This record gives sequence, C-alpha cells and structure tokens, in this order.
Amino acid sequence: MNTVWIILAPLIGGLLYGVERIVRARMQGRKGPPLLQPFYDMFKLLDKRPLLVNPAHVLLGIMHFITLWIAVGLIITGTNLLFVIFVHLLASIFLVASGFSVRSVYSHIGANRELLTMVAYEPLLILIAAGFYLKNGYFSIELIHEGEPLLGSLWMLFGALLLVIPIKLKKSPFDAAEAHQEIVGGVEVEYSGVYFEFLYMAKWLEYIFVYLLVILFAGNSVMMAIVLVSSVFLLVNLVDNATARVRIPHLIAITLGIGLTLSILNLIGVGYGL
Amino acid sequence: MDFSRYRKRSPWILHYNAGSCNGCDIEILAALSPRYDLERFGVLNSGNPKQSDIFLVTGPVTYRSRERLVELYNQMPEPKVVIALGSCTCTGGVFRGMYNVEDGIDRYIPVDVYIPGCAASPELIIDGVVQALDILEKKTKERENAKRLYSEPTTENGITDRSNSAQKIGTGGFSPEEMKPNSPERRENEED
Amino acid sequence: MSLIALLLTLPLAGAAIILLVRAVRVRDLLAFLTVVILVALSIAQYTGGMTVRFALPHSLHTIFMAADILLLLFFLWRGMHEESRPVALLALLQLLLYLYVSGTDPQAHPFDIEVGYISRIMLLVINIVGGIIILYALEYIESEEMERMKKNGFIALLFFFLSVMNLIVTTDNLEIFFLAFELTTLLSYLLIRYRGDELARANAIRALWMNQIGGVAILAAMIISVKSYHTLSFDALLTFGSSWGVAAIAVLIIAAFVKGASLPFEKWLLGAMVAPTPVSAILHSATMVKIAPYIILKLAPAFTPFLSHTVTLFGSFVFMTASVMALGRDYFKEILGLSTVALLGLMMAMAAIDATESVQIVLVLIVFHAISKALLFLQAGILEKSFHFKYLSDFEYLYERSPMSVWMIVIGFASLTLPPFGAFWGKFFSLELLISMISQSPLYILVLVFITLGSVFLTLLYFKVLTRVLSHSTGKTEKVAIPALFRYSSYALFGLLTVGILLMSGWNGVGVFELLLPALLIFVIPLLLRWQLRSSERVGEYRCGEKDEAEIGAYYFALPEAQVRRAHYAAAALIALVLLGGML
Repeated sequence: MNTVWIILAPLIGGLLYGVERIVRARMQGRKGPPLLQPFYDMFKLLDKRPLLVNPAHVLLGIMHFITLWIAVGLIITGTNLLFVIFVHLLASIFLVASGFSVRSVYSHIGANRELLTMVAYEPLLILIAAGFYLKNGYFSIELIHEGEPLLGSLWMLFGALLLVIPIKLKKSPFDAAEAHQEIVGGVEVEYSGVYFEFLYMAKWLEYIFVYLLVILFAGNSVMMAIVLVSSVFLLVNLVDNATARVRIPHLIAITLGIGLTLSILNLIGVGYGL
Repeated sequence: MDFSRYRKRSPWILHYNAGSCNGCDIEILAALSPRYDLERFGVLNSGNPKQSDIFLVTGPVTYRSRERLVELYNQMPEPKVVIALGSCTCTGGVFRGMYNVEDGIDRYIPVDVYIPGCAASPELIIDGVVQALDILEKKTKERENAKRLYSEPTTENGITDRSNSAQKIGTGGFSPEEMKPNSPERRENEED
Repeated sequence: MSLIALLLTLPLAGAAIILLVRAVRVRDLLAFLTVVILVALSIAQYTGGMTVRFALPHSLHTIFMAADILLLLFFLWRGMHEESRPVALLALLQLLLYLYVSGTDPQAHPFDIEVGYISRIMLLVINIVGGIIILYALEYIESEEMERMKKNGFIALLFFFLSVMNLIVTTDNLEIFFLAFELTTLLSYLLIRYRGDELARANAIRALWMNQIGGVAILAAMIISVKSYHTLSFDALLTFGSSWGVAAIAVLIIAAFVKGASLPFEKWLLGAMVAPTPVSAILHSATMVKIAPYIILKLAPAFTPFLSHTVTLFGSFVFMTASVMALGRDYFKEILGLSTVALLGLMMAMAAIDATESVQIVLVLIVFHAISKALLFLQAGILEKSFHFKYLSDFEYLYERSPMSVWMIVIGFASLTLPPFGAFWGKFFSLELLISMISQSPLYILVLVFITLGSVFLTLLYFKVLTRVLSHSTGKTEKVAIPALFRYSSYALFGLLTVGILLMSGWNGVGVFELLLPALLIFVIPLLLRWQLRSSERVGEYRCGEKDEAEIGAYYFALPEAQVRRAHYAAAALIALVLLGGML
C-alpha cells in the first residue's frame, strides 16, 4: 500500500497544485486554469527541444527531485522524523548546489536566497521533531500516526510550522527565494524543457512533504487530519493572495524571531509538564 | 507518444520590450489581468526565455535592443513562435525610417504572427495568441535561426553549443558599414 | 606493549634518517615505508583490542625532566630574542612552576602508558591521516624555494610531530602529558615560522604564547594533584572526585580550550595558516587540535553536573559563533580554520555530556572531521601550488581547469554535513542525544538551538566556497595537470571516507537502507557526470539578453568588530564559569 502511495505522490502533488491554482483564481474572482493544468504543462515541457547549460547543473536538479521523492517516501513509510528532515535538507542542498553550478546571476541570487531561507526554517523543523520526541519519547513517524493527536500540547510548534509552510511552498509573504518576476524564478532560471520538468515536479512533491508534516499533528484522527490540511491549505492561499513579499532579512527575522520563541516555549512546556 | 497537442494547452509567454512606448506593454498586462483571465487557457507570463513558448515582442527594435532580441530568441527552446505586437513592431510604425530604430523585428528574427494596432487592444492580443497557438502546434523541434547577428552553433565531441550563436554587433553578420545610420547599404535594405 | 613502543619510536627513527638522506627519491621511499609501517602498526593496535598498560623505565623520566627544562629555557630564549613579553613571562612562570612540581615527590606511577579504546582510535586517526598528509608533504615541499636540508627538515619535523602525538594520546602520566603538550607547542611554533618571513614569525610567536597558557594550566593541575593526592596519574585524578580533584579537572579543561583554539584563543590557529599547507592540515585535522576533545573526553567521567553543563554550553556557543565569524572571511584556509574551531566546539560540547552514547559520537566526529578536513586542506594546498589560488576571490574558472579538485572540495564539505558520511551521523546522534536530555536541564534547549543554528551557518559557509568553485558555463575544459602524489593522497582520503560510510552501518541502529540511499545519491552524481548528455544542445545563461559575461562573487556576512569582541567576552565569561565550577 505504501509503495502505491509513494509512486502516486508526485501525481497527487500535481493535482493539489491544480486545485490550488483554481482556489487562488476564485479568491481573485477569476475562473482559473483547468484542474489538470499542471500535467498539461508537464507534457508540453516533454515536447521541447532539450537545451542545457552544463551537465552538472542538470544532474544536481534531477538529484534534487529524486531526493525529495525519497524524503516523501520515508515519511510515508514512517521512519525516523529527524532523519527525514535531514534527507529533505539534502534535497534542498542539491537544489542550492545546482543554482550555484552555473555562471548565472539570477541563479546565484536565487540559490543564495534559498540558502538564507534554509537558515530560517531548518532550526524550526528540527525543533518540531524535538517536540514530538519530548512528547512521545520516539521519532518514529509510524508510531506518531498511531498515537493521540498532539495538536493540543504542541500547538505552538504547529504555529512554527505554519511559518515554515509559505517558505517551502514559495508563497507570499515568504516567496523571496523564487520571487518570480524579480529574479526570474531564482534557482530554476537556467532549466528548460524536460530538465525543468524535474524542478516543476519537485515543487509538487514539496506540497506533499509539507502537508504530510501537518498531518503528523493529527496523530491517529483522520477527521482532524482532513480538517487541518484543508484549513492550512486555505489559510496559506488566503495569505498568499493578501500579502506582499517581504525581504530576505525580514523573512529570517520574522520566522526565527517568532518561530524560535514559540518552539522554545513549547519545548519547555512539554519538557517540564507545564 | 505525441505530446504536441499539449503545446496549445500550456503556452508560456516571454514578453520583450524592444524599445516600445509602453502602450502595448500596458495592454499585455491588461490582457493578463483578472478581467480577461488568460490563465484559464494555461497562459503564464514566465519572463524567462528558456521556459517560454511564445516570444511576444513590442517596440520597433532600437539599436540598443538588437543583440538582446536575437539572444533571447536564441535561448528559447524550439518549438517556439514569435508574435510581433503593435504597429511599430510589425513595420516600424511611426518610427519607420528614423535613424535610431530598425523597421520592425522581422529583420532580425522570423515572425509568425503580426498583431497591428497602436496600441493593440487586449482582445486583439488574445486573438493573436490563439492564432499563434495553431502555428505552434504544427511546428517541429528543428532549430530555428535568427536572420541576422547569428552564426551556426559550434559542435565539438558531438556536443552542439549554441551559447555563442547570437553574435555581438561588430563580430560578424554585420559589417561596420552597415551599422552606420543612413549608409547606402542600409537604405538598400530598406527598399527590400 | 612493543607495538606502542614502535609507534612512539619509529617516527623518530624515520625523522632522523630522513634528515641524513640527500637523494629525493630515497627520501620519498623511506618516508613512504615509514608511513606504511605506522599505518599497519596502528591498525594492528586497534584490532588487538586490549587495554595496554606499562611503566616506562626510570632513566627515561630523568631524560623527560631534562627535556622539559630545556624546552622551557628555549621558550624563554625565544621570548627574549623576539622581544615578546608574553612568551618570556609565561615561559618563566612555567619554569618556576615546573621546578616546584619536580621538587615534590609523588608516588611512583603504576603505569605511564595506558592505551584504552579512545587512545586506540586516536592512534588510528593520527597515523593514518597524518601519514597521508606526510606523503602529500613530500611533493608539496619540493615546490618551495628552500635548501635541501631545510626541506628534509620539514618532513622530519612532521614525523617528529606524529611521534609526539602518539605519545600524548597514550600517556596516563600528567608529567609526560605536560612534556608532550609542550612539544606540540614547540613543533607548531617551528612549523608555523618555517617560511621565516615577518608574518610567519609574528604568528608563530602568538601561537607560542597562547599555547603556553595551556602549559601553565597543566602545571597548575599537576600542582593541585600532587599537593592533594601525591599522584600525577590521570586515572587516579579522575577517581578522587573531591573538590580538589574537580579543581584540577577544571584547570585541565582550560588547557583543552587553548589547544582547541576555542573562542578567545582562536587567533593562533588562524595565524597558523601562513605555514606551508601540510602543516595546517596536520595541525587542524589529524592531530594537534584533536587534543582538545580528547582531553575533555578523558576527563568527562569526573565532571560535576555544573562543569558538564557549562562546558557543553561553551562548546555549542563556540560552534555557532565561530561558524558565523567564518562567513566574513575570504582566505580559504582561514575559512577551513574557523570551521575547525566551530566543529571542535561541537565535539567538546558533546564530550562534556556524561552519557554512554556521547563517547561514541565524539569519536566518530573526531575521525571523520580529521579525514574531511585533511582532504580539504590538501585541496587548498593543490589550489595554492597549481593555480596560485589562496583567496576565494582568486578562484576563477577552477571547474574548467580541474574538475577533480572541485569535486574533491564538494565531497570534503559534503562529508562534514550530509548523510551518509560519518560526520553527519555524529551530528545527527548529537541532536538526538541533546533532545533526549532536554528533560534533565532546560539548558539543553539553548544548546540545541545553538547547535542547529551553527549547523545551518556552517552549511552557509560551505556554500560560500562552493559558489566560487562550482560555477561554470558551457565552456570547454582546459585541464591543468595535478602532480601524482597530490592526486593519490586526495584519493586515499576519499577512499577512507567511503570506507567510513560502510563502517557506520549498524551503529545506533543506522540501517543499511539509510546509508545506502544517500550514498547512492552522492556517488551516483560523479558517475552520471560522465554521461555528457550529447543529444542536448548547450545554451548560454540567461542575462536578460546581454552578451557580456557575468562576474560571480561570493557572499560575505561579516560580523561587526564590536560583535566579535562581545562574543569573545561571552566565551571568556563561560571559561571563568568553568573555573568557578572547579573552585566550588
């Protein structure tokens, strides 16, 4: 069963992206693209003449996609949460390395910003894992899914995760790493055709990864998982539509300032039974 | 598997201003706005030649913008279509014959769709894009070359490198004579 | 016992012979043989697997004593000659303290040499990584402009260094430990000033006086130990556990901080960068600075909770601050140096936690940090010799000229942070351990935050270098030939890293799957790079249509001077807290 989910993960992510584009359009009073638009884009990209800057650049991009897929797979199979976070970090590092592997201004700026956003969210993800460990005494995702919902006692860490989500999904106000028209998509600027497809699909996987993290807080309650995912989904898109982009220094200050405070308070609370 | 029918469903646009008065550019933005909602056809203003299918050019091609025009065209992966948007992009418009502009982009790159108008209205733009999509569907993946400021890509060890096929002015494709305004050669070109 | 004796004496014999040989070929061959034997000996010692204890003959003690006094007199003379007041004063102070200590009459040592599990691992690191660095140095020193005698002297000094390091990790006698400690100080002084220019001499003097603070600390510990317990044995010191024992331990911790170039003392290590690169490599990676976590690891069982907490806090603070400080540097070796300071902070922090897991974690960190840093320093040397690149801002078109060096640098940095390499598992289990310790003291939350932030800053730092080396266009390569010894020593270290991944499996339940998966990712890339994707056309980078080439720089996040000073004060305050913990 798990294998099927892992194989389907990018497709589900694609559908989620399709739904999101419609929801966003509706929020703006538009009709929006068809649901399968992301897949149309993908098929079109397959049909382009292959162009690339250098093989290392392309290979690092493909590695980013594969590693992300593995990270998603590891969450689905229910291994160690901390390890999953590091595999996900490895994926981001492949992406940044690919950005730095060409002599392109935008790619470098994008990779640079991507790195700086890592400064903002990586400590938070680790502290979230720490919260689960303190509460349960294990990192195993499988056991977390079997346990009670932890949103009640880890709600401040959930708040920290809410700060991370727009960064990972490249949503306003934390989308400076991609900053579409400003730095032409950042890291992905030099990819084209079939090679761009890997980065495009990696974005879908990022959706799955983030929402699987959200589901962790629901424990064994399916109802709660559905409510959490849909409300976070709506909230993120609402905020995306309603806010402007903040600069990278502000992004780091906001995420680390609020996120670290919330996580540390929560850890103290859980660790000492307050 | 034949994916060519999906070209129509996901046209990504690269918009380049080759010295336009911004009239047409404003109309493009209007066409992309929620009012017309081009996104329902899958249109995306990507701003990156490497991920675009439609090259939407405005402006009569000033001297400064020639190299960039060819370079951007060159960086777009085939199949691709070029739309000349607005009167001056098609023919030079009110700037025709002036010393500092070329008369339309088709001197430099092959154009598939001409959209007249000063400025072209959003409806016209959408219509032009739709026509361009029909052309796009029929195109092959063969390399398409610019008309000037262009040299064949180099091939070494079986690897074709087109990074230098868009030339700098003064390095071929153009004689220095030709670059002078109102040179005999230039006037000759105009009569073509 | 004979293995240990050989490990201690063989490098000395090698050094002596190499000094006498004139032909380069013969010298290289001799050095190679010595290294091979040393590596074999250290492996044999490791696989032997038994704790070895024995006492040295009494005559040796007299020689050691004479050596100590000569050494301190030499420091005093250097201090007067170079007109450096700190050096002279510290040497004088040490001389007085030493005479005082040697005047007392401690109990006879049951054994001077004790080789346990930790020492066996240290011996492996010192001899294998150190040996490879010496082989590399054979090629390196040939390209320097020096007399033959001086070149051979350099190699001989490196061998001498190995011997001293072998001594320092095997001795259980504080007096011999002091001698070995002072000898490493002497050797680093000599090696740093090897090029003999103005800067080298100034930096060597600074290294000398800073390291002498460590010497004073050890002497203080010896006095406390001898006065209260009439013994100079490490093991005995650890078992007493009363207030004086803790005081001695607190003082010894200061010696570790000095040798490990922790925050207020980091300048001497950065100054050591003017020395020939193999020196930086051997000082940083294989040997000298590793004394710091080694001492803490050895002392940790006797720590009071207060000491344990403060040292952990100090280590994690250094880890974060040094990583941030490195972000503003441009000199490649200095970047490597500060990241070493940072990682030593992490090792010391983990070593101070008195948990059964922490010993294993620190040893893994020590081993893999040594290999990775050696690999990186060798690349720094290659860049310096083959391309004349020293500063990040010089690094131009490196990928086009030597893709091998670039990928070695990438692997070197990757092996410090990423799965599946050993250093990653060290860090991973450090985090796990810290998280499980949170319920014992809220302080560990702060430590956890410091370490996660520090790790991210280090990643930022590694990418700062990668920005410069990794970027390349479609341009064709114009390869530059790299001398064979340089290449083979790099490959050897790379091989060690790979073997290390395999050794990791089964540790703390690290599954084969978890290892193979990232290994696949990391080793598949170089293989796939052979795949040239010929059917795809190459296209230039997007520059808004401009034809001009973009110049790519590295980013700098320099800390303001005031902040650095504040960090130094904070570190000094924490050290004072450690001392205070010893007094209470």
